[in-house]
Amino acid sequence: MKQLCFFFVLITLSKFSFAQEVAELPKDETGKLTYYEVVNTTVKEDSLKIRLLSFIAKSKKDIKLNTTQNSKVILARGKFTIQKTTTLLSHPSGEITYQFNFESSTDKYRFWLTNFEFIPYQKDRYGNFVPSTAIGVPLEIEPKKSNAKQWEDYRLQASEYAVNFAKRLKDHLKNKIFTPPPISEKKVVSKSW
Amino acid sequence: MKNHIAALSLLLLSTATVAVAQEKASPLEISGSVDTYYKYDFNKSGNIKTFFASDQNSVSLGMIDLALKKTTGKASFVGELSFGPRGQEQSLLTAADGNSFHIQNLYVDYAFSDKFNMTAGFMGTFIGYEVISPAANFNYSTSYLFGAGPFQNAGVKGTYSFSDKVSLMLGLFNEWNVYSASRGTSSIGGQLMVSPVEGWTAYINGLHGLDGYGNYSTIFDLTTAYEINDKVKIGLNAADLSAGDDSFGYSGVALYPQYAFTPAVALGLRAEYFNYKGISGGPSASVTSFTLSGNIKSGGLTFIPEVRFDNDKDFTQGFLKSNLTTFNKSAAQFSLAAVYSF
Repeated sequence: MKQLCFFFVLITLSKFSFAQEVAELPKDETGKLTYYEVVNTTVKEDSLKIRLLSFIAKSKKDIKLNTTQNSKVILARGKFTIQKTTTLLSHPSGEITYQFNFESSTDKYRFWLTNFEFIPYQKDRYGNFVPSTAIGVPLEIEPKKSNAKQWEDYRLQASEYAVNFAKRLKDHLKNKIFTPPPISEKKVVSKSW
Repeated sequence: MKNHIAALSLLLLSTATVAVAQEKASPLEISGSVDTYYKYDFNKSGNIKTFFASDQNSVSLGMIDLALKKTTGKASFVGELSFGPRGQEQSLLTAADGNSFHIQNLYVDYAFSDKFNMTAGFMGTFIGYEVISPAANFNYSTSYLFGAGPFQNAGVKGTYSFSDKVSLMLGLFNEWNVYSASRGTSSIGGQLMVSPVEGWTAYINGLHGLDGYGNYSTIFDLTTAYEINDKVKIGLNAADLSAGDDSFGYSGVALYPQYAFTPAVALGLRAEYFNYKGISGGPSASVTSFTLSGNIKSGGLTFIPEVRFDNDKDFTQGFLKSNLTTFNKSAAQFSLAAVYSF
């Protein structure tokens, strides 16, 4: 009986690990899907800015600075890829772009991700998936019935991305240094066997 | 029983672990398309000979196209296979032993840095606006410019991106469309990409060497598209090919205005002027063509209803009247194609 219980717990855990509950992003006062967070901090404003710029520089493939480094509000444009995955095939089907905003004061900072837009991909002459348009479709737009499920998935992926992005950003601004546990050196002993 | 449960539990755990580990690895991309069409020529003849809607009054095959791509670190490969009339004899030359290798793209790529990458193999050509795959064209039938230019280039090329707005490609290639060179790596080609404003991209292309007609020639090509807003897009293709000894050549221009009523429904026109240069000072001959196409999308499926009118004032195309014996200056056709991309 104990083993059966253990088995069911495992099944539940494994299912949970595959289907994490993600809620859609809330809308701001203008009706835009937005991830918004205010964080209290002991880090000085100047250091925060330097760390933020290093975070953007580190992720330069996915996020690009839009404002000068001296602006009060730092703006950047970011993107992430949407992967179409079924049992038999997988390829990028589009990307979601967004605007990143950051503002800091004496003992806190705030940031928000908004203006999420979907850009579909199309295969080019070389067999690569590339944006088929430069003009994205805002994720707030209500989709047609036939497209509703897919659109909901895009919104959930945007939400999941924003949560992960926020975690990475906050860790970086805290200057959290990850030290891997020491790995004991393994030696091959071939003399006795 | 206990052992079975324990084994099953372990299996579940390991499956979960593998799934998590796989998320970090670059997946093998699998994609492709299939297409089929019906065409009716109003003079009951296969008059318009540009690629690919060739069969008269017939529900016919285009091709099935299958592409694989894998990226591991800085290295990647693309292999794209095609089967069917559009993907075999209409767009690929057979090898010396008579085999069709069914290969549209087969190359490897290495990104030395974020700005510079090199590619080697058999690739879709960098010349021109339209391509072989119907999934990447707005119109189903193709232009005279498309039919006259190269389809594939085998070779090695390097691309340097100065910024998101400017990049330069230079390469050495075999003659057009062949899997292996008959007279060595005979061509040099380049492409300058500029994107002056968001939504506007222009490619200025040049290729000098042995062409698909057996001449050493030079082709210059401009391919550009501008999305004015989310509804209006305008494309342009202009090209000029001249053989060194002035025995052969062509020039042409095609304009592609398109209007999207909704993200799923769009209408587009192709207006083309194409000129065959007179050989050794002889008279030139020209063709004009107007193609109106709709794109109606539902999921992966796109319907392309299309009407096309061609005018051949110099009788170079051999258009026939409905009695199938008298030559005619003009030809018109209707086609309906269905293209499914996955």
